[in-house]
Amino acid sequence: MTQAVLDDPPLRHAAGRRRWLAPGTGLKLVVLGLLALLIVMPLLSTVLFTLTEESRGAWGDVLAGRLSRALFWQPLLNTLVIGVVVSVACVLLGGFLAWLVVMTDIPFRRTIGVMATLPFMIPSFASALAWGSLFRNGRLGGRVGWLEGMGFSVPDWLAWGMVPTLVVLSLHYFSLAFTIIAAALATVSSDLVEAAQIAGARGRRILMGIVLPVVTPALVAAGSLCFAGAVSNFATPALLGLPVRMQTLATRLYGMISVGQTARGYVIGILLVLISAAVLWAANRAVSGRRSYATITGKGGRAKRFALGRARLPLLLVAALILACATVVPVIVLFASSLAPSSAALFSNWTVHYWIGESNPAIAQGIPGIVHNPDILRAITVTLTLGVAVAGAGMALGLLAAYATARSRAGWLSATITQVSFLPLLVPGIAFGAAYIAWAGAPIGPFPALYGTFLLLVIAGTAYLVPFSVQTGRAVIQQVSGELDESARLTGAGLARRLWAITVPLAVRGLAAGGILIFVKIIRDLSLVVLLFTPTMPVMSVLAYRYASEGFTQFANAITCVILVLSVAATLLAERLQARSQPWLKS
Amino acid sequence: MLELRSVTKRFGDVDAVREVSLSVPDGAFLVLLGPSGCGKTTLLRMLAGLEMPSAGQIVFDGQVVSDGDRAWAVDPARRNSGLVFQSYALWPHMTVRGNVEWPLKVAGMARPEREARVAEVLRMLGIDGLARRFPNEISGGQQQRVAIARTIAPRPGVLLFDEPLSNLDAKLRVEMRTELMRLHRATGATTVYVTHDQIEAMTMASHVAVMRAGRVEQFGTPLDLVERPETAFVATFVGTPPGNLVPVRRNGTGWVVGGRHMPLEPPADGAQALFRAETLRLEGAEGPRTLPLELAEVSTIAGRVMVTAIAPDLRLTAVTEALPAARVGETVHIGLPETPAAWFAPTGERIG
Repeated sequence: MTQAVLDDPPLRHAAGRRRWLAPGTGLKLVVLGLLALLIVMPLLSTVLFTLTEESRGAWGDVLAGRLSRALFWQPLLNTLVIGVVVSVACVLLGGFLAWLVVMTDIPFRRTIGVMATLPFMIPSFASALAWGSLFRNGRLGGRVGWLEGMGFSVPDWLAWGMVPTLVVLSLHYFSLAFTIIAAALATVSSDLVEAAQIAGARGRRILMGIVLPVVTPALVAAGSLCFAGAVSNFATPALLGLPVRMQTLATRLYGMISVGQTARGYVIGILLVLISAAVLWAANRAVSGRRSYATITGKGGRAKRFALGRARLPLLLVAALILACATVVPVIVLFASSLAPSSAALFSNWTVHYWIGESNPAIAQGIPGIVHNPDILRAITVTLTLGVAVAGAGMALGLLAAYATARSRAGWLSATITQVSFLPLLVPGIAFGAAYIAWAGAPIGPFPALYGTFLLLVIAGTAYLVPFSVQTGRAVIQQVSGELDESARLTGAGLARRLWAITVPLAVRGLAAGGILIFVKIIRDLSLVVLLFTPTMPVMSVLAYRYASEGFTQFANAITCVILVLSVAATLLAERLQARSQPWLKS
Repeated sequence: MLELRSVTKRFGDVDAVREVSLSVPDGAFLVLLGPSGCGKTTLLRMLAGLEMPSAGQIVFDGQVVSDGDRAWAVDPARRNSGLVFQSYALWPHMTVRGNVEWPLKVAGMARPEREARVAEVLRMLGIDGLARRFPNEISGGQQQRVAIARTIAPRPGVLLFDEPLSNLDAKLRVEMRTELMRLHRATGATTVYVTHDQIEAMTMASHVAVMRAGRVEQFGTPLDLVERPETAFVATFVGTPPGNLVPVRRNGTGWVVGGRHMPLEPPADGAQALFRAETLRLEGAEGPRTLPLELAEVSTIAGRVMVTAIAPDLRLTAVTEALPAARVGETVHIGLPETPAAWFAPTGERIG
């Protein structure tokens, strides 16, 4: 029977089309092209710039020249000290809180859990500004902080430089460590612990023998991410370290570029990227073989909680103290200081001038309050528009990239897309900003230079947050199983229609939450935009930084309060969106 | 008519489907039967147009719809075929009605016609009362019916099923089997049905292709497969209970089965004899054609008794009239018939 048909005359071919490439290849090429343009080109042009004839000398100057100690080696040492100390402190703080919340019977577990994620909602320069308002001493002249105002004498080491930088950064980044470690601890199901108990193990033994090994990858990951965050943080060392000439690579990079020594700045930027990337790569490598632990979770129910016994209250106090220092105190100080004419007397003579006052030559050199200040108002408009634009562009790109790679993961195209999309994680924001100056500072072919335009901010912001948007997009796509899309494909619906009618409605919560997350990240970002800032295109964070470094701390703090409120409000909105009732999710 | 011509699918250097050629007439119920990983789902996805064959052609009604040699294929939506996914793949944000209606909307069917057709298929599958529910508000069996309704609504000429009953409980599975056969008669669509359950294949199919490691081991009617298995694999995969395959080896004095000499005449050394369960007997004592085995399982089936007994490298299942006197774990004597139903070479092909 089968033989007969094979000898038939040639068959008619129905109206089909030839597929030169595997399905999805076109989409993947488009995504890869976009990513190359957004991420690879700026980084590449930075490197190429430092290799040109006239800039090549910058490498020697930075690494081995007469000035190399001041340019690179001392800032490198400071940067490494910050990275190591902050990451250790973060893993300890975050791990401690995560353990309390996930594994023990501490009271107010839920509240502690929420509070521990809050510092990440606060811009990192908020705490630095708050620190200044509290601890500033008379060394630099100008106004002193609240403690000196109260009659205490604040030593230099506590007011400026390394110690405050370490404290502020640790109190900021520990919430990142908390999130990662808590998630890992949550996978330690009660089954695992109970199995150990049946085997005869007790508290400490279970912690050391079962729990710690399971979460080790998370500890390493948390430590390395906190390291990368701390070494690339610009705002805190700039506000607390620069006044006493403590330089990190990030502040050095900023300084070089703002005084026009672009090539040296780029070289420092490249070295900063290499350090950050090397640590992340090494950490990833150290734990990559063990990742599979996370999947061995089985059905495990609610984790059995360690009874803290008499240690409950003392531990609660410790947790409360950490959380108060990280969130409550900075917020109160910022708010108070935006109302107080003198940070030496934070809680007296309050005035709303810095918020709603008209220009008055007697106060703050005539700078009007926020609602009358055209610069600040414009910055607010630009920042909000920027946030919305980047959130939209980011989610669109993230969804597209995740969609293109999720369907067929095999092949070098998908692998390349994935790797390129995670590249910005290795690049500190300030170096990424520098790369965009190198790339978009000059006309590209027929296109004019983008420097100073809103478009550049949008592109740079979108590119910088590609890792987050792709990750969110991937999580969203995974919710919508492949067969749901395939069954839509079988009906003949095209890509756009399928995305619109199937993927997007199913993914809308995830997309909205992801978009808002990006929005928050952009409006409170300083390090990326600090180099891309121009007076015609001001953004709030840079404006706050400028005011702070010029001594107008009330304005800086008031703007930071606005960012803070916006961030928190947006996050709450995201949560509400997620909770919005969807009939197909009932029951 | 549905034809496959030397269809091959490679993923990297793995051949998931190798040189599959077969054809069934219009209205046939073709079952692709095989263990997991044998390539049957890949073959089905190529029929649906979701995968491109690496070589070979797929022909629906004289029209080539996929041509692996030329990397050419008709869009999944234009092949006049519909696929019911194993997971059902119901769109969770659409109601039952929405799920059935959306494909028709995409196809550009006018509203009144569309509504009539939706009502018709919902009635046909007995789920018209559920039209406003969401997929998570109905049971697994009802979800299955919605998935089928959605697939048949556009009246495809070829219906494809990917293990559609595997997520249902045993009782529902039997009901849906009947339901699917009724539906097949009602629509007259050529049906291709993938399963690893040989009972489903035997009860539903007009044609069965038994697949193993990407190849079709045997293609024929259910009766063909049971009565004239062409390979040892088919012989042990189909039938309830499946046939017993017993290796027969030569030693100095004669032919040995399970450690005992037997008066058998195999066509080759190392050949395997096929004994059907209904031809094996439970003997009270040792005889010239009995094997002493350890009783492993006893179960009653429709008034008869299915007895399984094992030796270190032998497992025999017999269907007998009475319960054995021995208890599980004790030794029983299984009597072999004089001639086996078939002989297979050590490599698996039939030799007598």
